[in-house]
Amino acid sequence: MATQTQTITYKATLDVLEPIRELLTQTGQEVGLDKKKTYNLCLAVDEIATNVIRHGYSEAGIKDGEFNLIVAKSDNQLVVTIVDAGTPFNPLEHNVPTAEDLTIPLEERPIGGLGVLIARQSVDEFNYEFSGNRNRNIFIVNL
Amino acid sequence: MKIEIKTTNDILIITLEGSIDSQTAAEVQKTVLEASSDHKNVILELSKVGFVSSAGLRVLLMLYRQIKAKNGKVILVGVSEEISEVMSMTGFINFFEMVDTVDNALSAY
Repeated sequence: MATQTQTITYKATLDVLEPIRELLTQTGQEVGLDKKKTYNLCLAVDEIATNVIRHGYSEAGIKDGEFNLIVAKSDNQLVVTIVDAGTPFNPLEHNVPTAEDLTIPLEERPIGGLGVLIARQSVDEFNYEFSGNRNRNIFIVNL
Repeated sequence: MKIEIKTTNDILIITLEGSIDSQTAAEVQKTVLEASSDHKNVILELSKVGFVSSAGLRVLLMLYRQIKAKNGKVILVGVSEEISEVMSMTGFINFFEMVDTVDNALSAY
């Protein structure tokens, strides 16, 4: 089939996280993605959407912000892109905990830093682009 | 998010139902930490929790620290395969005892 693309606009508030997970779960079912890969896609998008809402918009003092979620279905891939106009942030340049950091007892662990790690590891491919003053966080799942 | 709290033989049992994401985590964390403040042993029943993001892992981390400081023990019940995988990816899994039922958790104290 040709690529089918759907674009949805969300307010940059944390209460959109659940509707986004519901949409992605439904999309996962439509394209025959298994439960685990669907869950992991929801998780990856959730982590980055949280960062966009919280750091990209809220902490930057941008009110009434919105971002787009683009869902593109093709024969062999499901590609989800978050497009936002918040503070530029490249998760691929963000330091994530190393394998060694993840063995540190929880008593001594720094709090935070796990979201980006989880996002990057939970999909087959994660990309970031900045163009036209927009962040594009791209999540690719192979079908 | 639904939170139920009860005590059996001085062991606190907290049952959560719903998703722990960055929207719900603050309320969950506050409720869980306050309820656990005068207990050494806590059972967290998660079989009706369908989704946990890093914000949810942070709640587990805070609870673990609070209980560990008192030499107590946190046992997680009914963690789904998907959530267990994320706990494994982040190195959380080695610090929690995990069982299938509340009864099994109670007999582990």
